[in-house]
Amino acid sequence: MTTTVQPVPHQENRKKREKYYVTTLKRLFSNKLAIAGLVIVVLQVLMAIFAPLITPYDPVAQNLMKSELPVFSEGHWLGTDNYGRDVWSRIVYGARISLVVGVVAVSLGLIGGVTLGLLGGYYRKLDSPIMRIVDLLFSFPGILLAMLIIAILGTSLINVAIAISIWSIPTCARIVRGSVLSVKEKEYIMAMRSMGASDLRIMVKHILPNITAPIIVFATMRMATAILSTAALSFLGLGAQPPTPEWGAMISQGQDFMWSAPHLTIVPGIAIMLTVFAFNVLGDGLRDALDPNMNID
Amino acid sequence: MQEALLEVKNLVTSFRTADGTLQAVKDVSFEVKKGETLCIVGESGCGKSITSLSVIGLLPQNGSIESGEVLLEGKPIQDLSHEEMRRLRGNRISMIFQEPMTALNPVLTIGYQLREPLLLHRNVSKKEATVKAIELLKQVGIPYPEKRLKQYPHELSGGMRQRVMIAIALACHPGLLIADEPTTALDVTIQAQILDLINDLKEELGMGVLMITHDMGVVAEVADRVMVMYAGKKVEEGTVEEVFGNPKHPYTKGLLNSVPNIDDPEFELEAIPGSMPGLNEEISGCRFHPRCQFAMDKCKVLDPPEFIDRNGHTAKCWLHEDEEVKADESNGTVTATV
Repeated sequence: MTTTVQPVPHQENRKKREKYYVTTLKRLFSNKLAIAGLVIVVLQVLMAIFAPLITPYDPVAQNLMKSELPVFSEGHWLGTDNYGRDVWSRIVYGARISLVVGVVAVSLGLIGGVTLGLLGGYYRKLDSPIMRIVDLLFSFPGILLAMLIIAILGTSLINVAIAISIWSIPTCARIVRGSVLSVKEKEYIMAMRSMGASDLRIMVKHILPNITAPIIVFATMRMATAILSTAALSFLGLGAQPPTPEWGAMISQGQDFMWSAPHLTIVPGIAIMLTVFAFNVLGDGLRDALDPNMNID
Repeated sequence: MQEALLEVKNLVTSFRTADGTLQAVKDVSFEVKKGETLCIVGESGCGKSITSLSVIGLLPQNGSIESGEVLLEGKPIQDLSHEEMRRLRGNRISMIFQEPMTALNPVLTIGYQLREPLLLHRNVSKKEATVKAIELLKQVGIPYPEKRLKQYPHELSGGMRQRVMIAIALACHPGLLIADEPTTALDVTIQAQILDLINDLKEELGMGVLMITHDMGVVAEVADRVMVMYAGKKVEEGTVEEVFGNPKHPYTKGLLNSVPNIDDPEFELEAIPGSMPGLNEEISGCRFHPRCQFAMDKCKVLDPPEFIDRNGHTAKCWLHEDEEVKADESNGTVTATV
């Protein structure tokens, strides 16, 4: 056995590993749209966290003396709605609701989708049955499926999150299954099997870490869809109920005053649009940055 | 006589395919003793890898052992349950693979992957496993083992990675090590180091090694005994001196003639004409006869059995019919009719 003395490679290697993250971030930041998306997402998260500190009014407190004030009114820079509620406060609290529902829906969808995808991709026997169920879910238009689920479960934001998560499962399961199919043929998985690792251990500890990139991208993009769907369902009266300051519900209530107070529909509309745009471009940027074909060495 | 570690008797492995059931390994028998290296040699597709995968129970999903026995230390293992087989793998039988570049998980550290077999088969804590992992890396000659544990596979060279693979395979001190072309993907200088390492560790740990290769140079370097396979069958088996010094089967001779010899300026490379038959090709008689320059009429009709000579050197060829020692004779006084 030869134990040749070499210069300590540790320092150099740590640099290399740091370089890997730096290049990934550099790729992300070289995409101007992705930066814009990231900034909007971060701002929204900050808004949601510090909502009570940055809003001068209670989002549900009515003040009929000051109803339907236009934007840039004194004390209400985004105006007030027909009950005199401060639109800015409602938008900020609405960000909270959108993000929480989005995160819950996407997380639940990921749990279901990743589990089904792993099982379907790993076990050949389970592949067909699982993928046929997924196909069945795909055959419904998404919003109809969500409406059906809410019709069964009843209208509430929690049920909206559940409905959207169920609707996210098939897409996620397909993405994960595809990645598992390619990873499980790799020699290192064979090597782990030759070491006597159990199937569960191989799936969770050896395959899953290899497919995080597509899952991260999926989750980011799915946040946009989830937020948009929450708004859509609330607009239709299936989600948040008044007086909850949900963006879709705000548009729904504001549409009666479209001519007298257009800001009641335009402001939450812009909020929804910006958020969805931000998550989508961030997802795009992440997909390019995490491209599996890129050279790590 | 050393104890037999692995015995394979009349192994038949087949695959279900769209063209029906195909036999990839046809009636192969061999054994590996403790502290011995058996090399299985043959062209691509001759069934050598499938033989080794049959032993460790990792055949592809459409493959199965049709008949025959695989005995590990005298106990049959071919019919063990999934779970029992899983406990054997990595613990009593280990395997190292051809491509060190792809046989390590790129997203997990070396340390994580080295701890895996220990956590799986030995009831140890993560800390104990880490200590053992450092020892293992030292054993396979990797400098700065503590630092390597935190590194990822892409930070190591090919030779280093193959050493890590060997360390992982040997973590639980298996009795049998299967090495499937362990040096094919490496530089020649590194190849020699890795082969030496496997040899040293074999002696140190008293393992049996089943080495799969198509490289006659590797065989000469490490083998105690050689088994030559052709189209799913064993065609010749003997000690490395016998097979290299006195090759019997025309296929073995062909293989040896297709290795360049730099010491002999007159030496000319000879290719074996033709190519190996597909698994579904029906060939009457000896499966090698269409490519064999010594083929007789008999070869085209009758498949030769194994003829064993007095040195225990077997050949599946009619040319050596008259050298056979009857089993009952070989026990007592040898009266071969040579």
